Amino acid sequence: MKKSVLSIVLIVIAVLSFGKTLTIWVGGQVAELDETWNSVIKGFEQKYGIKVEVQLFGFDTYYDKLVTALQAGKGPDLAFADLGGWVPTFAEKGWLEPMEEQLKNWEGTPQIWPNLWPTVTYKGVRYGLPWYTDCRLLLYNKTMFEQAGLDPNDPPKTWSELLTAAQKITDAKNRVYGYGVSGTKTEHTTLGYMMFLYAAGGKLLTDDYSRAAFNTPEGLKALKFYTDLAKSYAVSPNAIQYHEDDYRNMMAQNRVAMSIGGPWSFPLIEAANPKIVGKYSVALHPYDSQPASVLGGWALVIPRTSPNKEDAWKLAAYLTSFDVWMKWVEEKGGPMPTRMDVCTKSKLANDPKWQVIFKTFPYAVARPPIPQYPQVSEQIQIMVQRVLLNELTPEEAIKVAAENVNKILGAK
Amino acid sequence: MVMPYVLVIIVFVVFLLISNIVMSFTNSKGELTLENYISIFKDNVFYKTILNTSIWVFGSVSGQILLGLCVALLLNQITRGQIFFRSVILILPWATLDIVAGVMWKWMYNDMYGVLNDILVKMGLFKDYIPWLATPKMAMLAVIIANIWKGFCLSGMFFLAGIQTIPQELYEAAEIDGANAFGRFWNVTIPQLKPVLTTTLMLTVIWTINYFPLIYVMTGGGPNYGTETIVTYIYRLSFRFLEYNKAAALSNVLFLLVFTIAYLFTRKMAREVAA
Repeated sequence: MKKSVLSIVLIVIAVLSFGKTLTIWVGGQVAELDETWNSVIKGFEQKYGIKVEVQLFGFDTYYDKLVTALQAGKGPDLAFADLGGWVPTFAEKGWLEPMEEQLKNWEGTPQIWPNLWPTVTYKGVRYGLPWYTDCRLLLYNKTMFEQAGLDPNDPPKTWSELLTAAQKITDAKNRVYGYGVSGTKTEHTTLGYMMFLYAAGGKLLTDDYSRAAFNTPEGLKALKFYTDLAKSYAVSPNAIQYHEDDYRNMMAQNRVAMSIGGPWSFPLIEAANPKIVGKYSVALHPYDSQPASVLGGWALVIPRTSPNKEDAWKLAAYLTSFDVWMKWVEEKGGPMPTRMDVCTKSKLANDPKWQVIFKTFPYAVARPPIPQYPQVSEQIQIMVQRVLLNELTPEEAIKVAAENVNKILGAK
Repeated sequence: MVMPYVLVIIVFVVFLLISNIVMSFTNSKGELTLENYISIFKDNVFYKTILNTSIWVFGSVSGQILLGLCVALLLNQITRGQIFFRSVILILPWATLDIVAGVMWKWMYNDMYGVLNDILVKMGLFKDYIPWLATPKMAMLAVIIANIWKGFCLSGMFFLAGIQTIPQELYEAAEIDGANAFGRFWNVTIPQLKPVLTTTLMLTVIWTINYFPLIYVMTGGGPNYGTETIVTYIYRLSFRFLEYNKAAALSNVLFLLVFTIAYLFTRKMAREVAA
């Protein structure tokens, strides 16, 4: 009798103590900031008396790791998910807990940038809380502008100015290039094409995401100009092999003067070459008919199998609270908060680089938040590659890609 | 005493195989269906990956076997510093991590900083740097070269072990009969090595079909579908597109293919032993 009571007590204690440990998985660039995480999490543990275990993952392995865990029903209590279509994809599989109720009653909800909500919505229900964000801009090397006789404080604003500047800088014999075109079979290529597509006044998919919308004169113009930068004008290194992360490293070595970048590039380019501090900047990416940008970032999601959903929401709300974000920004200077009040009240508001970002952000579009997005994205990558490889003309390639995208989306 | 092994096999092999087969015949709602298999055979990318896998396997395996044989013959001649040469030449590429090897070759092939281009241009073989990974055909050649480097050591090691078991008397007898070096190689070494050759061929073929990290790191299956093999496609289907059922179906097709190859080889070997 005594023994069985003892064992029951032990089991109850074990279950309780186990249940009080929250697990959070952090992926992407902020995963590198482990010390900041420790201090932020310590604040939560003291406030609520809940133990939290933080697990950090590099970007390369995070997606596979998270998908495998969610598929097996063994995910964490709270996880980071990329705003590039992960949330609706996971929601469609039934892996996530809806957050609609909590978000309706939370003080921070009206402070989140409104163009972020579609990225975490699936069939009208919100499944995630956007935590940090960014938008794509023109990253450029001031030294190379000066050497080519260009004004480093007046970066190109239109496509034709972009081309003129890039041609002036390019010196192919010495492997110095004006602009870096992403043409690898990765997400970067889709993002690069989207920047030019929206800048030409085009759209990737229709507003209800039911079929392709890029097979238009605007879409064709964007595809032609994007690939011609590499092919006819030859102002880019061999596009098939490189993407914006490679170009950022080349920019640090004064090899490529302009490419797509964003707030996340600052620490990385300075890590690649510490001497470049103050010698690079960002600007609105050159456009044709309208300013354009593509947003990215990460949201917090609660897996459906988590036994601690209420505590997980407490942690999500705590991490996204005004105070925690202010502390984060004061200490780290980035990334870009999803809260508008932090953007306007913190020290970021006085930094010229961040002013460009806040001015551009309202133009930024999200990638289609649909489960089929990875397949759609692959079709765009193949479209760009086929044109770069001269396998198809831009007209043929865009037609084939639109047909395939419609097939993927089940449109007639 | 057999029970633990049987259990381990059931848990780790039979159970997984069966769950994979079940998955391949169900759709996302859990209903029984053949649509996964039908969609594979309707998929043009599937036929492209079959062709790519054939080229990849043929190129890699013939290169690995030939180079492995040459290296084994040469190493067999060395009497001084055997251990040093064997470990450097045979173990080094084999012991390099797959991902490390992939990243290393990717950098060597790089057309802006790559050491390979630098050497070739300085030797005067090429006038300008060539973009190795920029067209589908060149990329396939480039990954095959890297894979030959990565894998020749294993066949080399098998061959070296095989050569050392050949009795010296056979060579002496051949020499008395007036056979020159090539004759001795062709009439003594090769027939004596045949069992080792067949086994090595079977293992390298199967390994190469299933080998994934090098291509994944170097080209990711691109440009276009230039280096997409069946395994990289399965990976893309399941981890990028989350189409688990279709990926399971394709894995079963691949399993059948590998099984057939292994069956044919083992049958051939069994017959040779019987004869």
